[in-house]
Amino acid sequence: MGSGKTGEGASQYRARSRRIIGGAPEVREAVTDATLSFERKRKRAYAEVDFDAWSDWARDVKNHVLARLDHYLTEAESRLAENGAHVHWAADAREAQRIVTRLAEKASAKTVVKGKSMLSEEIGLNDALERAGIAVFETDLGEYVLQLLGESPSHIVGPAIHKNLEQVQRLFAERLGTSLSGQPDDLARAARQTLRDAFAGADIGITGANFVVAETGTVALIENEGNIRLATSLPKIHVALAGVEKLLPRMSDLAGFLQLTARAATGQPLGSFVTLVQGPAAHPGDDGPEEVHVVFLDNGRTSVLEHEHAWEALRCVRCGACLNACPVYRQTGGHAYGSVYSGPVGAVLNPALLGLRQAMPLPFASSLCGACGDACPVRIPIPDLLVRWREEAQAAGLAPKTEQAALSAFAGAAARPAVFRLAGKAGTRLGATQAARALPMTGAWSRERALPRPSGRTFRELWREGIE
Amino acid sequence: MRDGGSDSTATDRARILARIVQANARRDAPPHPGRLETPTPSDAAEVFAARFAASGGEVVVLDAGTRDSAGVARSPGERLGEFVAGLGLERPGVAIGACVPEELRPPGPYAPPETAGVGVCLAWAAVAETGSLLLESTGGRATQLLPPVLVAWVPRGRVFGRLGDALGELAPRLPAAVGLHSGPSKSADIGGTVVVGVHGPGRCIAVLEETASR
Repeated sequence: MGSGKTGEGASQYRARSRRIIGGAPEVREAVTDATLSFERKRKRAYAEVDFDAWSDWARDVKNHVLARLDHYLTEAESRLAENGAHVHWAADAREAQRIVTRLAEKASAKTVVKGKSMLSEEIGLNDALERAGIAVFETDLGEYVLQLLGESPSHIVGPAIHKNLEQVQRLFAERLGTSLSGQPDDLARAARQTLRDAFAGADIGITGANFVVAETGTVALIENEGNIRLATSLPKIHVALAGVEKLLPRMSDLAGFLQLTARAATGQPLGSFVTLVQGPAAHPGDDGPEEVHVVFLDNGRTSVLEHEHAWEALRCVRCGACLNACPVYRQTGGHAYGSVYSGPVGAVLNPALLGLRQAMPLPFASSLCGACGDACPVRIPIPDLLVRWREEAQAAGLAPKTEQAALSAFAGAAARPAVFRLAGKAGTRLGATQAARALPMTGAWSRERALPRPSGRTFRELWREGIE
Repeated sequence: MRDGGSDSTATDRARILARIVQANARRDAPPHPGRLETPTPSDAAEVFAARFAASGGEVVVLDAGTRDSAGVARSPGERLGEFVAGLGLERPGVAIGACVPEELRPPGPYAPPETAGVGVCLAWAAVAETGSLLLESTGGRATQLLPPVLVAWVPRGRVFGRLGDALGELAPRLPAAVGLHSGPSKSADIGGTVVVGVHGPGRCIAVLEETASR
């Protein structure tokens, strides 16, 4: 994988988590509020339809596509070419940066407007364009806030959910001259004004791609603000960045996936705006771009596809439902993970994208409660994958020392019946709360909690007496 | 067209496709499960109106065959003009989309999309299941996006029950781009409070008309 941002600094997860939880309690509060709100809407939206059947169907479509990905990619390439679009292929982040920068330089572009794209974050595109002297405007409101702050997104769908109103009021007062007591409506109006000027003067619009339909060569984009509609309509050039796993076979599949993704992400039947791009404007009356470029990017995805288990994570539609459901993510937001893809899906994707050593200790950043797996609309077995990565980490000597020590101690005891018997007896004598407080992993948790008193007899004793 | 000017993109293409083939060599390809069957609404127009309104859109029905007090028939465009005049626009001027036929155009004053108070366009169709308008790029994208208010004519016979049915009919004749609008532009990115009209239209009005046609 070339230079990019995926997984930079995952190793600092614990230190960053401690800093956020201890030093920035407003992050935990804002993220918890936002994710619980997303969760309520998602659950309501799932209940309105037969979501079990939808999820089974979506899993099966994605599995079919991934198994024939080469076929669908080349079909999409042919259709896009027939539609007049240009298709590019990038094996890594550096090549993708080079393709987009070259397009911008060829067009003598001075200004780029961007729709929210995790893939552009992954490849570090803004930095590359700015190094080439091109001004980049993030146009999603949350992304714009973060760009002004010099921060990266902390959530796939709500990039600035870790910021509260007061923080945005201060920022906009300083940068856009709004009142310190400006309400969200006023602040959004100020941002709209600035960004309208950017749209009007932009040479290139850059977006991601939620899906690419092979049958028609359609790039599909979901949003709520309308900035993606504008970025794909007003500039003379539109560049869409698409991960190679984003393919769908047919338009009828797209109809299902658009609805499934919207319900999982924001609890809506559909995003306020969906844009379906086939190619450049070619009809009188169409005032859209003269050039459309689609960049298919690998950047580690074929390594994920190759992995015996992790390939299932390529079904991900980037809805963020697993982040919202995760009690661990809620404590810190996405910045603690040091990765563009945070939360549970990041913890299973990053080890395959980057290598397990670089992604450590993310597979351990989970309580394994299973909420992420229940929320996933494409049935990625996230808890199972987390356990598998932990097993691989344990086997490779990469697991946290406390976990390694605990598992070694258990393995040692379990292999020796006399020791196991003795340990069981000791457990009945020692109070569970005291035992939990003495252990590094459960010490802090049990400081303010009392565990149930253990039975006075061991399982073996009960067994001998006859369990009913 | 494939990017012909770059050797590296051709190399990368070959490398990516080869890696995919290699990764899948040990796996069977499961069949496609077929289409996702969702329920078909019994009254598509009614369900569309309810869903579109639930997402913050507005629905207006203009009855066909209206006459003024002197018994003179008024065109749908004239009636739309009266409706638009009552909207209390923040700025004057109507931008008209490229595909709106003469009889559906409200009387002026007209303005370009960049400065108009309202954009009037003709939807290709609407979808009940998702409460969406389908707008073709050939109708003029700036008109659909730049004015603070969007008014879209929806021919009543063009309300599909399900999104899949609409996209299926559109697939063989897709224009360069299609926009699905399911209510006004909105965002909750500042403090979790929903605001409308962030980038696209802050009001999105669907006008159902019996006789509206291309």
